Amino acid sequence: MYLNIPEPSRPISAKIISIWRWTNTIGHTVTLIILGALLYFDAAYNWVSWIDNVIYILIGLMIVSAVFSILIEPPFVQKSWRYEINEEFVQLKHGRFNQYHTLIPMTKVEYVTTDQGPFLRKHNLYNLKIGTTTSSHNIPALPKEEAIQLRSQIAMFAKVKDIEGEEVE
Amino acid sequence: MSNNPKRYHPSWLLFEYVSFLKNAFFFILFLFILRGDVMTGWILWAKIIFVLFAGWTIIHILLKWFFHTYQINNNSIALREGVFVKNHRVVPFERIQNHQTNTNFLHRLFKLTSLTLETGTSDSESSIKFSVITHDEARMILKKIEEQDAIAEVDTEEVLEKPKRTVYFRSTKRDTIKAALTSFSFLAIFPLLSAAYFQVNDFFDLEETTLSAFEYFKAHIGLLALLFIVAMLLSVVIGYIQTVVKYGNYVISADDERIYIEKGVWNTSTFSIQKDKVQAIKIEQPLIKRLLNMVEIKLISAGGLGEEKLETNALYPFMAKHEAYALVNTLLPAYHIEEEMKRLPKKVLFLKLLTPYYGTLIVGGVLFFFQREWLWVTGVVFVLAILSRILDYLFTSYLRHGEFIQTRKGGFSNETLLTRRARIEEIEVQHSWIQRKFDVASLKFSNRAKPVFVSELAYLPKEDVAAFYVWYGERK
Repeated sequence: MYLNIPEPSRPISAKIISIWRWTNTIGHTVTLIILGALLYFDAAYNWVSWIDNVIYILIGLMIVSAVFSILIEPPFVQKSWRYEINEEFVQLKHGRFNQYHTLIPMTKVEYVTTDQGPFLRKHNLYNLKIGTTTSSHNIPALPKEEAIQLRSQIAMFAKVKDIEGEEVE
Repeated sequence: MSNNPKRYHPSWLLFEYVSFLKNAFFFILFLFILRGDVMTGWILWAKIIFVLFAGWTIIHILLKWFFHTYQINNNSIALREGVFVKNHRVVPFERIQNHQTNTNFLHRLFKLTSLTLETGTSDSESSIKFSVITHDEARMILKKIEEQDAIAEVDTEEVLEKPKRTVYFRSTKRDTIKAALTSFSFLAIFPLLSAAYFQVNDFFDLEETTLSAFEYFKAHIGLLALLFIVAMLLSVVIGYIQTVVKYGNYVISADDERIYIEKGVWNTSTFSIQKDKVQAIKIEQPLIKRLLNMVEIKLISAGGLGEEKLETNALYPFMAKHEAYALVNTLLPAYHIEEEMKRLPKKVLFLKLLTPYYGTLIVGGVLFFFQREWLWVTGVVFVLAILSRILDYLFTSYLRHGEFIQTRKGGFSNETLLTRRARIEEIEVQHSWIQRKFDVASLKFSNRAKPVFVSELAYLPKEDVAAFYVWYGERK
């Protein structure tokens, strides 16, 4: 039933589950407050009749989405995330219902950066961002040492390969 | 050997001023001719602002020309530009992915041309454009670049033989007539007229005049018919001339290193790309061309292609299919287009038809709430959605042979892409819950181009997707 391909093995930090729960809660709360405010103005200023229907539908969708993305989704996403790098490739895998496998040759890596927001900083975690010639990819929530080490490793592999690549291509 | 920094050809100034006048034409017409005698209210203010702005532009263009220099070195080109903020960049020749020249009417008048060198980077400064340059200078720069390529290619060979350039295709009058008919350019007058109408309408209120014109023609139907016939004849002539200007004198030639495409009458353009910098080949077949068994082949390149409407990277777009395929095989022996490809398994058709019809649902929902008497439109949308899914299923096909992957997609108009493993930048394999039930998966791969070229194929047998993933993992 599953794809018969080599899968990456290294997980991301489990602390990201609570971080995602927090950030999603904040995001949904802000959206609900805005929708509530719109509902209030709608009632106070008698907007066109169909607007309140639309707002009710949006609030309903937001509540469903909140239950899903705060309570259900985070552990699944965290458990399904795997990555691996070697001299040749960066390999990423994530998603449970929809599985995504990404394969990026080191020669095509253009830059690699680490960053952290306030929530990640609290847990001493980093995002690792890998930019290629065509797009960019994010590995969320790596412990500090791992992130820094990976960053320099990828930078090294990508650089060494680039020189060889130029000659071949 | 290194040349001194040079300024652009002085007529650059003229070109900039002409283009400024062209852009400001309607402002000038309105402010200084039609309302020339009005010296009060906002018109006066608009005149003052326009004069200040024009004065500034005239000085700024002059300064820009003065500070903008370029210098051709042995293996790079150095540019210095900027009036207030200085900018200095150096572009190595080997980074240049393709180059094109374009000679329009004004260029021709002064025996000049324009030259654009495209590098592969994604930022806004990815190209070097000489909007005015003498033919000799352009030839000198191109020669340098091409020599550079040749040196990089045959490092060890002592003697650099001048590669022989062979012409593979030259368009005839018959081709041009065929092109004019298939591109429907004889209808070109209508977009031209409507563009002119809206442009004029921005400044003068035409609506009322138009209405009274309608009234007039209603009364004189014979006159209207005559006018229509004249307009059609005029349109055919204009369409033919347009086609000649755009596709006349089409010449495709190549040597060992590069492919050259030249085209156009009066407004000529050339495009040249190093053979191994071709990222992929795209074959487009809109409905009308499929009926006539014609194809349009484009060479995908990492560098941008400048102005979209010039379509410089296309091989002659009105060529018979077998002719075009044979041409690609001769031009790029490294690429071989296959006609027989693998189709999707039958069960995928059910899967495709089962996927939710979001478009139909949205149309239905909106009509239900706002325009219930139009609800029947939902049915039409639904039938079209089913039809396009069936066609999509019938046309989607793929083939992986050796270093190549070839994919085809589309319903009413289809698109085939052929690329090499080394030219694929990254891949993604997607496997959803419903796809697992059907033992299929999706694959996505990106090619360098501007903008990035992403090909996505859904619902392939999972064994083929897995094999593709492993195949890509074995590159080099």
